Amino acid sequence: MTDDDLVFKALADPTRRYLLDRLFERDGRTLTELELDLEMTRFGVMKHLRVLEDAGLVVSRRAGREKHHFLNPVPIRLIHDRWIDKYTERQVSALSELKTALEERR
Amino acid sequence: MTTITAQTTQVYQVFIKASAEEIWEAITKPEFTERYFHGARISATADGYRSLGPDDAVWGDAAVTEYDPPRRLVHGWRSLYDPELAAEEESRVTWEIEPQDGGYCQLTVVHDQLEGAPKTAESVSGAGWMMVLSGLKTLLETGKPLVG
Repeated sequence: MTDDDLVFKALADPTRRYLLDRLFERDGRTLTELELDLEMTRFGVMKHLRVLEDAGLVVSRRAGREKHHFLNPVPIRLIHDRWIDKYTERQVSALSELKTALEERR
Repeated sequence: MTTITAQTTQVYQVFIKASAEEIWEAITKPEFTERYFHGARISATADGYRSLGPDDAVWGDAAVTEYDPPRRLVHGWRSLYDPELAAEEESRVTWEIEPQDGGYCQLTVVHDQLEGAPKTAESVSGAGWMMVLSGLKTLLETGKPLVG
């Protein structure tokens, strides 16, 4: 699987997107904090975090005995640069061509 | 409406297809940094960290507390390019380069100790570090700066 595949796969799940949103609100949470309002076993949350870590969307760092989870937005940025920019650029140029074509008819 | 306060510890990570030595050069030498770091010419040596803007204005000037080429660099951060941000307390930036299989390295940037610099935290989060790291990756992998 390519890096892009891992990111898309990781994002294609509501629980994982919820975990990313939680980290966006406040970064550096522990597993215990993250599992608080999820109706899921600790093992289930760990599995989701693992998928997010494999995709590079979550980076965990140890501080003493605790493991803190951080949202890493860079892979989403790279997908944005690689995919979204490409298509929005085309849309903008299509619009500007339309404008030119319409104005030339006058 | 909720207000999101920027985090006082921010972690960014990216895989780059380049050697640790190449990445180290790209983050410590001005001829590289000016191509992806908002045009800043940055030199980081064991003696200190200095960043100059395109007009030679001092954008950053801080101590280097760890200098271990090509694996680890720790330096202070003050956003001298903006008077409002420059008035805030100094924060800390850590660069870690870990070689991986297949000619890749994992580059981790930790910007922390931002408790006394909330406006700086806000300005470097989101697009700030992401644009820098995305630009650095593009430069090292394609030889071209990221346009846009």
